[in-house]
Amino acid sequence: MTAATPKLAGYAAIAAAGLIASLVLSRPELVALTAPFLLALAAGLALATPPRVDVDVVVDQDRLLEGDETAVRVVLDASTAADRVDVYLRLPEGLETTDGSNPTAVRLRAGARRELELLLLARRFGGHVLGPAFVRLSDPLGFVRWETVARARPQLRVYPREQTLRRVLEPRETQLYAGNTVARRKGEGIEFADLRPWLPGDAVRRVNWRASARRGELHVNELHPERNADVILFVDSFAEARREGSGTLDLAIRATATLAEAYLRRRDRVGLIGFGGVLRWLVPGSGVVQLYRIVDALLDTQIVLSYYWKEIDVIPRRTLPPSALVVALSPLLDERSVGALLDLRARGYDLAVVEVSPVPFTRPPDDEVDRIAYDVWALGREALRHRLQRAGVPVAEWRDGDPFPAALEEVAAFRRRAHA
Amino acid sequence: MDAIAVTAGGRFALLEETAAAASLLALAAGLARRRSGAVPWAVLLAATAYLAGRAGRSAVDGRAVAVGVLLLLAAELATWSADEHPRIRPEREVVVRRLLLVAALAAASLVVDVLLLAASSVSTGGGTALATIGTGAAVAALAVALRSTRRSGGGPSPTVEAARRPTD
Repeated sequence: MTAATPKLAGYAAIAAAGLIASLVLSRPELVALTAPFLLALAAGLALATPPRVDVDVVVDQDRLLEGDETAVRVVLDASTAADRVDVYLRLPEGLETTDGSNPTAVRLRAGARRELELLLLARRFGGHVLGPAFVRLSDPLGFVRWETVARARPQLRVYPREQTLRRVLEPRETQLYAGNTVARRKGEGIEFADLRPWLPGDAVRRVNWRASARRGELHVNELHPERNADVILFVDSFAEARREGSGTLDLAIRATATLAEAYLRRRDRVGLIGFGGVLRWLVPGSGVVQLYRIVDALLDTQIVLSYYWKEIDVIPRRTLPPSALVVALSPLLDERSVGALLDLRARGYDLAVVEVSPVPFTRPPDDEVDRIAYDVWALGREALRHRLQRAGVPVAEWRDGDPFPAALEEVAAFRRRAHA
Repeated sequence: MDAIAVTAGGRFALLEETAAAASLLALAAGLARRRSGAVPWAVLLAATAYLAGRAGRSAVDGRAVAVGVLLLLAAELATWSADEHPRIRPEREVVVRRLLLVAALAAASLVVDVLLLAASSVSTGGGTALATIGTGAAVAALAVALRSTRRSGGGPSPTVEAARRPTD
């Protein structure tokens, strides 16, 4: 887009007015006042040739962790000289510049190639699209401008930085493949399960000689095999509480990524359900590839306003294996997600809930009446927690700033007590 | 140039002073609000103030050369200042080049003004008209010359392009 600046019209007006006035008033001095502006106008327009500059935006790393830095370069290729090139790369929220000037103005000689480097710090996880890069070129005297936008808009995926969990919630049921969970059934393993009399076919190495000597007949050890388990991470994305750039969904996503990494490290199969305005799910899988799938799916999770009532039936069966441990991370703000959790429990799923507390993201009101309403709301949340616990669902409140393992330990303690 | 206008005195002293003050106000407002469109008005008002101060005097004022060059310098620097966004940090080369260009323009204006005033004071009857036409012709010739020089150095005149980033 080419545009004449106000300066061009202004100088032309001065020149015209001055020359006409000098003719009308017969004052040579007016010619002397006007001539410099005419000269500037002529020089400016003569030097204002449309420049040819190719613009590209290149990012060094398109995947990084929260808190990491990467360089992004705006590459300018000038076929013709450009006296002034203003460049501005629009950055999304969550990325900030730690080094380099943005915006900046440079000069390009004909045939020159410049790379304007910016160092970006990824403050927040998410899928970010860089740009657009706005470029404005001016002639030497600022009479004419050419503006354009670079088409290149590279993507940057910033993954949440996971905590390392030393302990996780132990699933009650196991699957058939080898893993790190001690199964309840008996088979080949390390953990002692039981003693029984020897039967033809039993291996000699399994004979418990001390018990056999005491009882006068051969007895063998039975062991618990180590198997993997199915774990489903349930992220509630119906509603969130948010304040000053941070919210319950951010916490839930970070915690989910941490849990996914911990369970996959134990060779468990991990699936994901994002239950909200946009429903998304991942069939349970294992390995590093599954971790990347889960984290990529989490990056795309956002709150989408929806009034559609969703039941748990909409989720495909193979996404929710019947013997899976379901760990839900939810602020418990929407009735639909609470209903879905109770429904899961009623269907016999092994369910645990970590309540991502919205309380730190609220501001207690100053007004007395509002404060009473706030207290009633807090009591309502307490009642909801009891309702879930009465249904046999372990619930632990996790607030921003508190360690996540502490909340997990509270859930584990409830499960131990319930089991006992 | 407003100081020159104010001190000149004359029949239109009030107009002179008012125009000078208005010129300063327009310039200040344009700079404060970063509106380069106010600068031509400031120049026109300053020229009006100068002209009001010259009312009733037939002799050609040699100071018009300085006034013209100073007006140009003021306009150039004011529009540059108004157009410059505070967030944009230009490279040193950009600033230096612009300064040199403005200085060259001022020097060339000085020479042209001196020649013009000399020519108009020597000629009789029709000197102003001739000077005006001569100015326009000279400027047009200069423009054509500069344009030819620029074009021969820069190749054909294309448009700005933005490169598509090659897809992986």
